[in-house]
Amino acid sequence: MAGEAIVAEELTYWYGKLVAVDHISFNVAEGEILGFLGPNGAGKTTTVKMLTGQLKPKAGKATLLGMDVAQDVEKVQAEMGVCFEETNLYEQMSAIENLRLFARLFDIQPFDGYALLKRVGLAGREKKRVETYSKGMKQRLMVARSMVNRARVLFLDEPTAGLDPTSSEAIRNIILEERERGATIFLTTHDMMEADKLSDRVAFMDQGKIVTFDTPHNLKQQYGKRALKAKVSTGSGELEDREVILDTPETPNAIHELFSQEKVVTIHSEEATLEDIFISITGRGLQG
Amino acid sequence: MNLKRIAILLGKDLWHGPKSFFFIWVIVVPIILSLVVSLIFGTMFTEKPKLGIADEGSSQLVAMTEQLTSVITKEYDTVSEIKQAVDSGAVDAGIVIPADFDSSVMQGEATELTAYVWGESLAKDRTILGATIATLVRELAGQEVPVEIESITLGDEVSIPWNDRLLPFIVLMAVFFGGLFLPATSIINEKEKRTLEALIITPTSIGDVFMAKGLLGFILSLFVGILILILNQAFGAQPLLLILLLALGAIMASETGLICGALLKDITTLFAVWKTGGILLFGPVIIYMFPQIPQWIGRFFPTYYIIQPIVQISQRGGSWPDIATNVFILVGLDLVLIAVVMYTLRKVKQYAT
Repeated sequence: MAGEAIVAEELTYWYGKLVAVDHISFNVAEGEILGFLGPNGAGKTTTVKMLTGQLKPKAGKATLLGMDVAQDVEKVQAEMGVCFEETNLYEQMSAIENLRLFARLFDIQPFDGYALLKRVGLAGREKKRVETYSKGMKQRLMVARSMVNRARVLFLDEPTAGLDPTSSEAIRNIILEERERGATIFLTTHDMMEADKLSDRVAFMDQGKIVTFDTPHNLKQQYGKRALKAKVSTGSGELEDREVILDTPETPNAIHELFSQEKVVTIHSEEATLEDIFISITGRGLQG
Repeated sequence: MNLKRIAILLGKDLWHGPKSFFFIWVIVVPIILSLVVSLIFGTMFTEKPKLGIADEGSSQLVAMTEQLTSVITKEYDTVSEIKQAVDSGAVDAGIVIPADFDSSVMQGEATELTAYVWGESLAKDRTILGATIATLVRELAGQEVPVEIESITLGDEVSIPWNDRLLPFIVLMAVFFGGLFLPATSIINEKEKRTLEALIITPTSIGDVFMAKGLLGFILSLFVGILILILNQAFGAQPLLLILLLALGAIMASETGLICGALLKDITTLFAVWKTGGILLFGPVIIYMFPQIPQWIGRFFPTYYIIQPIVQISQRGGSWPDIATNVFILVGLDLVLIAVVMYTLRKVKQYAT
């Protein structure tokens, strides 16, 4: 059985009177992908900063691979990789120079930067200055940089935000490959579809607290409602939406009425999304 | 702190620094300024010091002087001619050799020599001429002799040549441009572009980053400072002492740069601080440029303790005892700044995160 890669115990942080993270506790197993979700200002970034040693918790404790993050920062940081949401590369340096610099800081020898760049789809552009890269290329380089030390724990903050579908898919594949390698991945994202697709478990954070923590499947089972979504034609030729909630005693009658009394144009079943679940738990959307 | 990581970061800044505008700017500006001043005031391709001689007898000293390659010698017939030459700056100094001078010194008798010195002559020229006369008299006598040289300054006595007045300004600019701006702009850039955040989530600490930036400023500041003194032929007789002073000045500059880098949020603010706070740095050199300002005022400025010893050595022929007190004060100021740098490290961490 895999051990715990990340353990947060009563982790707390405040800025002045604002409690950003309020006594949160959770575990992430080795080799697991955790989707860490929540609206802006929920406390996600502060949590990540405490887990990566950038902020010292005001209360509580975080351990990474069994090491106390606050006490053994250097050892902890040697085992982790971080991909930030905002690009923060040395733009006047080439991609290969960026990777080699960080490999040297991690004391990784030998280091094959070309292989890593090929893996993220940047082969052939290794020696070009980063400032000439597109946003998608920079983001791929950011992901590559977080992997120079073959990190056992990867913190990825919105790794696909604002990217085209091809770049997003490439990065998602890399995340899954890293999980296959055995890395633990702490994925912070707004993208519910992405979280649903990639995460073994998801944590919803709101107002500094973790409001729910489970597998996407269990959450859908627990909070979601399956439904039939139909478009019907009215007498004037316009289309209107209809919804029939499944799994209730009234469902058979509702379906019968829909087909006998309306002119159904299209119909499909729909599962609850993580966003729906988040709204049902917190009463507000993720963008809020 | 980890020396290997500091070296990696320093190497990165030295290797990629020349791609940055600031890197070029802080090195090139003082050099260009120095060249311009040297060209305007004619010391870049300076001539040898000129010595006038009026021989009232038939001294061998005249022939001995004419053989020297380091000094240009001109003979004058009368004392009034030589005084006129010195007064107009045709020669840097003129000596009047009494009729019985050679026999007196050879017999070891106490002898007097009158030397007229042009008030605006360069300090280094006066030093060369003084040492030359003393050496020649010793050679003539074959022994140490009690020759008293009466020195009379002609021309504008209070006037310091503008080249000499500007040298402290150029040296301080060289030391502080590199030492202050490079660490400050480098740290501010790392904060603005958030690369500092990327560095400190590796095993690299903020202390490593600061040390690398400080060393970058120190090395370039010392390099440009030495280059400026070489260009101005201002090393005098104590080059090692001057290098020590430049090194202590470079430490002060780079520490100030680190503090600015830690506390200021962008380059615009840095320039605003440079414009308003520059008087604290350049106060002593401005005071030195204008001798009519009471010179003791300079002591209130920290950079006085860099500039005063440099001037003392390079322009006034001073040595360690003349500057020791000010050097100890300078070391003290550097230590105080180190403590301030340590304190501001915490601030940087807040900015970085």
